[in-house]
Amino acid sequence: MSSNRWLATGNYFTSYREEQRIFFTSLDRAVMGFFLLCLFVWPIFIDVDNKYMLVIDNILVAVIAVMGLNLVTGFAGLISIGHAAFVGIGAYTIASFSRVLGESHVLLTHAWPVMIIISGMVGAVFGAIVGLPALRLKHLYLAIATLSFQMIFQWTINFMDFFNQGQTISVGRVAWLTGTVSRDQHYIFWYYAILVFIVLTGFSVRNLLRTRYGRCLVAVRDNDRAADAMGMHPGFTKVYAFALAGFLAGVAGALNAYIYRGVGVESFTLHASITYLAMAIVGGLGTLHGSFWGPAAIKVLDLQVEKLAEWSATFLPANMNLATALKPLSFGLVIVLFLMFEPRGIANWWRIFRSYVKLWPFRY
Amino acid sequence: MSYFFQLVVSGIVVGSIYALSALGFVLIYKSSRVLNIAHGQIIAVGAFITYALTVWANIPIFISLVFSMGITFFLAMSVERVFLRRLIGEPIISVIMVTIGLMSILDGLVYLTPFGSENFSFPEFLPTTPIGFGGVSISWTQMVGVIITIIMIAAFSWFFKKSTVGISMRAVSDDQLASMSIGISVPKVFGLAWAMAGLSAAAAGSIIGNITGLNFETLHAFGIVVFPVVILGGLDSILGAVVAGIIMGLIQQFASGYLDGNWGLNGTGGVAPYIILLVILLFKPHGLFGIHEIERV
Repeated sequence: MSSNRWLATGNYFTSYREEQRIFFTSLDRAVMGFFLLCLFVWPIFIDVDNKYMLVIDNILVAVIAVMGLNLVTGFAGLISIGHAAFVGIGAYTIASFSRVLGESHVLLTHAWPVMIIISGMVGAVFGAIVGLPALRLKHLYLAIATLSFQMIFQWTINFMDFFNQGQTISVGRVAWLTGTVSRDQHYIFWYYAILVFIVLTGFSVRNLLRTRYGRCLVAVRDNDRAADAMGMHPGFTKVYAFALAGFLAGVAGALNAYIYRGVGVESFTLHASITYLAMAIVGGLGTLHGSFWGPAAIKVLDLQVEKLAEWSATFLPANMNLATALKPLSFGLVIVLFLMFEPRGIANWWRIFRSYVKLWPFRY
Repeated sequence: MSYFFQLVVSGIVVGSIYALSALGFVLIYKSSRVLNIAHGQIIAVGAFITYALTVWANIPIFISLVFSMGITFFLAMSVERVFLRRLIGEPIISVIMVTIGLMSILDGLVYLTPFGSENFSFPEFLPTTPIGFGGVSISWTQMVGVIITIIMIAAFSWFFKKSTVGISMRAVSDDQLASMSIGISVPKVFGLAWAMAGLSAAAAGSIIGNITGLNFETLHAFGIVVFPVVILGGLDSILGAVVAGIIMGLIQQFASGYLDGNWGLNGTGGVAPYIILLVILLFKPHGLFGIHEIERV
């Protein structure tokens, strides 16, 4: 644990246990700890506008959702074009409680961590159900099956009175030890709440990938028949991957519901599913830290495009709305350019950067 | 009873449009194994080009349809050349995502034009009184649409059965390596498959535009609706696309004809194809006519 990995000339592992450690050196652990501390402390020193805090919250929620998508699509190799529906199921679990119990029931406002976990579990159940066709379907047929689920979900929400036909269902303000979280504290409060969830899920996913079950996912992605021959159970693994993805998506959905203090179907459409996929791809499929880069990149891009459109509105005729055109255009260009020139995503840049720093001042 | 037959007729009309939309989709998948999610956008662009040529350039509608088919032919071919040629051999997800990116780009480009925000409709060039027989009526536009669809599908079938290019396309879809070794240029065939898909998309778009009016949202929604159709028919079967198109059209019309308004249901026409699709996939994982791939470790 003590040797400095940055100075080492190679790997000198003598056991698998050693190779599978999360932190190779004490320095690594210290750096990670310091980084986490910074994440928790920075809002105290830097004052952020509520508008930008909302963007940060959004990015973090998307990180949780994309982590789930990365498990099912990146690690288990099952393309899911219905991830927003899982996120929606999490959000609508909260919404159903709000519909039945009233929007400011004690369960919703005081026991919100429990509610978020429950939403995750509901998401997991739906994930497992949607994953069932994966027992028989493969590749594109499975992708389309998840797309069907997305369509059925949208229809159900849009045409059921219980879900207010897709209109906003409001959720009450939550309470914390200090009392009800006020309006200007709302986003900063949820920043901390989501951060805790991200740290928890991030570490559990990282740990999962070290275990038998995590490596099973990768084996099934690479070749499910070979995995079957090695004694794994591909069918079970696929269903279980979908259930895990559903859980993370459900948590993300519940958080989304709490941040916006309401649930509406427009955040969980096919377009949102595609955006999640794009985030996973831009971040880097099959890497854990890719799930952090992707959402950040896409959301920041969105913000910049909006700014550009606002700026251009000052000299363009009023009937030309550049934002509606530029958003899909830039989004599409980013996806296509990444796939053509950097299919391994931003995670790969990070890898290149790390090896550059490690070897500096030498080239190799 | 005449209500039933009316539903059958409109189901066949809708279904034949689905079949024509799905045709281009299947062409691309069959030769190059690419799931083209941007197909709806190509359909919309084809329709808009036809409209622009007919109304803004005052060309007779059938000639502008031919022109528009020609333009989308080269448009789709260049799309393949620029975006998809470099991705041959990449994993499935990359290819799907490129077409998703393409979809977004085309969306953005269309929103830059007036077609993105306004609705247009084709000028009436056919008699407006519907043809009626025995209580069942069908409008002239629908009739002509069905006839064009039948002609197109027949032409495509002939093309694949008899012409040298069509046979080489079938060869490529069967075995790329073998067809390469007998001198077929595989990239050229890929480009041609996209071009033909673009051509059929323009025809489909113009027909839809004539029946429902030109609305970007409606038109590109066809790109999503074709999924249940092609999956039901099996991704790589042209016959499957036609049969499944008709089946899905009938299902949709029957669902919205008989279910909507009863038991508090609404808009079932949009969702019934997906439910039926899931049920069918449980029993036939490769669709009705799809080839069951043999996988080896």
